[in-house]
Amino acid sequence: MKLAWITPRFSPEGVVGGAETLIRHLASLAAEAGHEVHLLTTCARDHFTWVNDREPGEEVIAGLQVHYFRVNEDRDVGRFLEVQNLIDRGRAVSEEDQEAWVANSVCSRDLNAWLEQEGSTLDAVLAGPYLFGLTVEASRVCHGKFWLVPCLHDEAFARLDVIAKMFREAQGCLFNAEPERQLAAELYGLPVEGNPVVGMAIDPVTSDGEGFRTQRGLTKPYVLYCGRREEGKNTHLLFEYLNTYLERRADTVSVVLAGSGDLQPPETLRPHILDLGFVTEQEKHDAMAGASVFIHPSTNESFGIVLLEAWLAGTPAMVHDRGEVLRWQCESSGGGLWFRYYPEFEAMLDLLLETPELAGKMGEQGRQYVLDHYNRQAISDRLLSALENT
Amino acid sequence: MSDEPQHVTVRVGAEGVDVEALVSEIRAEVARKREEGVYTDARIGRAERHNLMYMADSEELLRFYLKCLRDGVHVDINDFVIEDRRPGFKGRMLVKMKTVIWTLLKFYTFRMWHQQNQVNGLMVTAIESSFQQYEKKIASLEERIAKLEQGSSE
Repeated sequence: MKLAWITPRFSPEGVVGGAETLIRHLASLAAEAGHEVHLLTTCARDHFTWVNDREPGEEVIAGLQVHYFRVNEDRDVGRFLEVQNLIDRGRAVSEEDQEAWVANSVCSRDLNAWLEQEGSTLDAVLAGPYLFGLTVEASRVCHGKFWLVPCLHDEAFARLDVIAKMFREAQGCLFNAEPERQLAAELYGLPVEGNPVVGMAIDPVTSDGEGFRTQRGLTKPYVLYCGRREEGKNTHLLFEYLNTYLERRADTVSVVLAGSGDLQPPETLRPHILDLGFVTEQEKHDAMAGASVFIHPSTNESFGIVLLEAWLAGTPAMVHDRGEVLRWQCESSGGGLWFRYYPEFEAMLDLLLETPELAGKMGEQGRQYVLDHYNRQAISDRLLSALENT
Repeated sequence: MSDEPQHVTVRVGAEGVDVEALVSEIRAEVARKREEGVYTDARIGRAERHNLMYMADSEELLRFYLKCLRDGVHVDINDFVIEDRRPGFKGRMLVKMKTVIWTLLKFYTFRMWHQQNQVNGLMVTAIESSFQQYEKKIASLEERIAKLEQGSSE
């Protein structure tokens, strides 16, 4: 089969967002299975400015034929943000405004032109995440061949008519987790059949938690947060909870952060934090292996790659009760607990820190779950089975 | 109520961990401790401010938050021990200077903080009252619906 996969950004080094990593991963699996894979992306690297900072063109990277296209430079960012803010605040937005929001989002006329030119030779076009103009426009250009890899969240944008239409008219969706598929069923009436849960493979790695502790001078148990530090990830809630926990429990645990973001922790929490900033993949895995508990407070995840990676390192997790997908992962694996409010957060953290045997068992359950359900073969089987139906 | 934090006790089986049962057990234990006042702490009220959107649809959690709010509603304008980490004459002088500054600050801002405390207290009372009123209204409506349903089924 000849397949085109579309993702807003692609980096040969692999340092992009979760959804982009997912698309690259699925495209690679399809290529490994012998399909002709074209990966279409933009020339942008920065997900705030979307400036075209590399030349358009083609190159073969790790077996993928990667095509870089320019983001439309005449897009009206002011108009986009104006509508985006209205949507974000839950206001009703007219069809005209929704179209303006799509047109002034991250789109590429050059990419659309390639799809129009090559469309007749393609067997399927698979694009995601759902929130980008790039994806919406591809669904229109490749009507009848379009598959969505949505990375769907329960948010105001998901309720727009323009988005609902794309979901309903797509040939099918490849979901990351069962709650994501359930959400799509609730919002758009999508049937289970023809819209499979595929997910992403998490490859086993060797990690050295003790080495990380020694190297970083960590003498106390520590909890770990990995990812962007922003309100959308609920990091501000985690900071407040950890600050209160350390005030009530007096210096019993350290906090290790990996990743970046503008959100600053409270002044009183800072002395307890070891901020790693950007880390290599190996260092991330080592930090995960050395942690007593991995905490993922986000309520807006469609998969939770870092949660699965933490389990693979044998570390138990705590997630927010309202993060449907992460809670489902915890329920399915037995590798994590889910809190609704601070008293539960405190009780669960106490329990995991004071009962290493329990924490170890939960970490092992999580690890086994990832090895059983997110191994390369299982994901490849689910993906290829879905592609057979395209 | 003791100010000392109390830990939740949960028994763990020797076999695999049933996390759903564990979460239920922790929740039951936390609810019991909450009734004992273990979590009535202004610091918890502060920590929950980013969690309100998730707590708002749970009567149980919202009631707990109102309790925390009541506990943390007053701005503390009482005197406190003024210290300085520097030893000797310099340290003693700094303590004296800080004491004078605090006395002046308290003198000139006492009226403002007093008014703020009054406003905070009234606000919390108003929120609690409307919460209780709605609780009563909902209870009476539920009772009425139950009676109507009973009447229609007979």
